[in-house]
Amino acid sequence: MVETRAYDEMHGTAGDVREHYRAFADWLANTPRDRLTQKRAEADSLFHRVGITFAVYGEEAGTERLIPFDIVPRIIPAQEWRQLAAGVRQRVRALNAFIADIYHEQEILAAGRVPPEQVLCNQAYRPEMQGIDVPGGIYAHIAGIDVVRAGRGEFYVLEDNLRVPSGVSYMLEDRRMMMRLFPELFARHSIAPVEHYPDLLLENLRSVAPAGLTDPTVVLLTPGANNSAYFEHAFLAQQMGIELVEGQDLFVDDEYLYMRTTQGPQRVDVIYRRIDDDFLDPLVFRPDSLLGVPGLLAAYRAGRVTIANAIGTGVADDKSIYPYVPEMVRFYLGEEPLLANVPTYVLRRKPDLEYTLANLAELVVKEVHGAGGYGMLVGPAATREQLTAFRARILSAPERYIAQPTLALSSCPTFVESGLAPRHIDLRPFVLSGRDITLVPGGLTRVALRAGSLVVNSSQGGGTKDTWVLE
Amino acid sequence: MQLHIRHETVYRYAEPVKRSVQNLRLTPRRDPIQRALNWTLQAPGRQHAQLDAHGNIVHLLIVNEPHREIRILVNGVVETAAAPHMALPNEGRLSPLAYLADTPLTQLDEPIAAFARRQLGDTGPSERFLLDLAHAVCEAVHYEKGATAVDESAAGAFARGKGVCQDQAHVFIACCRAVGIPVRYVSGYLHADRQAEVESHAWVDAWLGHESGWMSIDVTHRERAGPAHCRLAVGRDYLDAGPVRGVRRGGGLEELRVTVNVATSAQQQ
Amino acid sequence: MLSRTADHLYWMSRYIERAENLARMLEVNYRMSLLPHDAQIVERGWAATLTIIGLLDAFRHRYQTVTPANAIAFMAFDRDNPGSIYSCLRQARENARAVRGTLTSETWEMLNSTWLEMRVTALRPGDEIANFFEWVKDRSHLARGVVQGTMLCDEAWHFIWLGTFLERADSTSRILDVKYHLLLPHGEQAGGSADYYQWSALLHSVSAFEIYRRVYRDLITPRRVAELLVLRDDMPRSLRSCVSRVYGHLTAVRNAQSGETERRAGELQASLHFGRIEDIFALGLHEYLVQFLGRIRDLGERVARDFLVSATD
Repeated sequence: MVETRAYDEMHGTAGDVREHYRAFADWLANTPRDRLTQKRAEADSLFHRVGITFAVYGEEAGTERLIPFDIVPRIIPAQEWRQLAAGVRQRVRALNAFIADIYHEQEILAAGRVPPEQVLCNQAYRPEMQGIDVPGGIYAHIAGIDVVRAGRGEFYVLEDNLRVPSGVSYMLEDRRMMMRLFPELFARHSIAPVEHYPDLLLENLRSVAPAGLTDPTVVLLTPGANNSAYFEHAFLAQQMGIELVEGQDLFVDDEYLYMRTTQGPQRVDVIYRRIDDDFLDPLVFRPDSLLGVPGLLAAYRAGRVTIANAIGTGVADDKSIYPYVPEMVRFYLGEEPLLANVPTYVLRRKPDLEYTLANLAELVVKEVHGAGGYGMLVGPAATREQLTAFRARILSAPERYIAQPTLALSSCPTFVESGLAPRHIDLRPFVLSGRDITLVPGGLTRVALRAGSLVVNSSQGGGTKDTWVLE
Repeated sequence: MQLHIRHETVYRYAEPVKRSVQNLRLTPRRDPIQRALNWTLQAPGRQHAQLDAHGNIVHLLIVNEPHREIRILVNGVVETAAAPHMALPNEGRLSPLAYLADTPLTQLDEPIAAFARRQLGDTGPSERFLLDLAHAVCEAVHYEKGATAVDESAAGAFARGKGVCQDQAHVFIACCRAVGIPVRYVSGYLHADRQAEVESHAWVDAWLGHESGWMSIDVTHRERAGPAHCRLAVGRDYLDAGPVRGVRRGGGLEELRVTVNVATSAQQQ
Repeated sequence: MLSRTADHLYWMSRYIERAENLARMLEVNYRMSLLPHDAQIVERGWAATLTIIGLLDAFRHRYQTVTPANAIAFMAFDRDNPGSIYSCLRQARENARAVRGTLTSETWEMLNSTWLEMRVTALRPGDEIANFFEWVKDRSHLARGVVQGTMLCDEAWHFIWLGTFLERADSTSRILDVKYHLLLPHGEQAGGSADYYQWSALLHSVSAFEIYRRVYRDLITPRRVAELLVLRDDMPRSLRSCVSRVYGHLTAVRNAQSGETERRAGELQASLHFGRIEDIFALGLHEYLVQFLGRIRDLGERVARDFLVSATD
């Protein structure tokens, strides 16, 4: 089931320019090459000045690299976006309902729709959360749903990110950059704005504060400047006008949470945390963590503080749970999913394992607990040795893997050394859940910069594009 | 049986501790097989009682002023069942399946997994199996004080071949999980006939299915837990269920002294 | 603002000020050692400086004898000496880096480039050590200028100045004490030419030579030097000016528990405002300066406890 013909965002099958790209194509044709080259260099130096860098794991300690930014936007017409947004919203509603159910009555397990061991023996399941009520029953306040387009232009969900989804700062900075470099494009198009994301996020976080507070205090909890996403932490805190705190700035007293300020201890009501569950409270999770706050879970249990995203959301975004998400939509909402999963083989199941081993060269195999594109096999791109080695890995622990057909991800023209060429992209819309579910139009478009590569992660050399939803 | 318990824990520090935060699991559980009468907990600073997900009564203890010593004293009478513990139904919020997952302290490795599979053999999970397993674990991991540290893992203790009740319980737990039996770590007190002063004890609850429930096994003594056992807390391992778990700022070298007096009504002091 | 942020800003500015004052102290000795002196007197001067800043024991661990070369190597460039100019500039930059988001980019870039240059200089200290001392002072002036010129006058700004002036008060009293306590008793005739050069060296080191001339138009006497550097309001490096600034910034950031600290600062300011040089000399200048240092240290500890990250957190 290999799709060979990628959907091109800009061009139709006959090579004609799609309607929503016409104005842009026109501008491109009429803009001298030197100007484009000069503008690209300007973007580079601006990004460097502002300091948007990304420390890449596995390289020499502390090397900071720019995440490459491509000036050709990914454009989505309004109607398509409306459909996509509706599907994403529906999915996030179902996911939140699932998490709430797992940590309360577990009705979906009793109904036999999801195997209980998948959930309860999952490393991301947090027994500590069982029975704890959270404001509004919302667990994943911020969700990043990774979406791709395949063969005929239909959207699929590749992955849900419900723990500490990142990348929104690039979405915001990319838009700022495009408006600065090419104001004429914004005059020519009617592009839905995204700049209000920080305001939306702050409003959302305040809306889930413990009940009865007129002016809740929100903070952003970061592991510190050595974390690879620190730029985003500092950026968002500054944009929202909230304090950027580390574990050592906080303490629990009388089941309330406080931060240490020059004016004395100040109560904290909502924590937007960019630290994994495991490091949040050394009294309950990893005892050696210095990043968290001892006693935080006690304050949380007593309902004195809201944590966003809630502890334990990982139970819903695990790759082993992913195949059941369409079931969640049916079970909790009584609706058919508007957005489809990528067909997935769960290698824990014998028939799926057999099929996968028989077709390894055509499939993408991922570790259930992996992240960021590591520990993955891309069958069509692998050598014979790599296939053999991976086969052995699968056989040693099949329950650790899932497999999916290689989708021909849609491509979008991108500037490379030889000029403009198609490169594969994906999309991560950011969904905020609080009183309502809101999305900023678009999201982060990631692009694989190597020809033919399907790996878009910035940690492995991917880049980003501005995403335009036309109004 | 009525157990009169007096348990004093004293931490002393070489330098002043600026601040300490602890979770105390020093209050007997509300289980069908025991009842606490006049239980008191004395400690410095402020305490807040909560019920955790395992159904344990946890006190959050915060000492805000600089201190060089923390003295925690629990005192009270617990009425226990008259006979070896009947199997307990699954009460509370957590499914037994939640006790099937690995934890760092009870992580399986190949030696333990192989050992466990050998014990299981052809028979399925049963009381007989659990008692035989306890026997086998004690043979493989001899009881010896001082051989392991409090943060020793099951794999470590198994490789070492010796440990205390905590280690034997962890190894037993790893074995059960290796063969798919949900199992909990139990922390509490054990009254041994002749001695009035003993240390806290650790044993396990193993899940034998909805008809049978949780069966309590004292691994170290290779028998079912009974009237001489008082249950303080359960969890997936020692980190979840242990009597005191906390962090502190400052303090330097720590010295811990624990005195537990457990007596029956006849011997009461 | 977060206590941790204020703590970094406060220590960033204390370390810059400390580096500058170290350079000034070393410069006094350096100038004095250029005069015709015997080696013993030169050695005594360097040992006095080391004692005053509390590093004599540490120095003796590393070096056998006190020579100008050793002393300068130790107090200016030594990486393992946490009190060296090198270490102070490194600490200033590290503290700034921790709160980069709170500083203007000019401020950060200025501190960062200072540190980068220091590293280069430390690798091969040039012959003209006097140039190095000038450079340190220049960078410190620049840091103050950039802060004053670009930063919003909010809480962050107040904590920066609080650090600067507490450190300056501390350092200035030590500079004064070097001369008085350790040099004067050893048989220097008051009014002799050697004495004149020592006093003028000291005045130069706190940029007060021309000021002295303007204010007193007369011979340099110990009493007048002390009066200028301790009690005069119009002398920017005087103890009185420093404490006055400390008090002002303390009142601007006061919180629920800083009342006593504020009172002590006010009390100290008043004693300088209404003090008389005769009373100070009656007590003994050295004794007075020791007391003063104690009170400054007490204020520093209280500021840490009231506002910043302190030992009792």
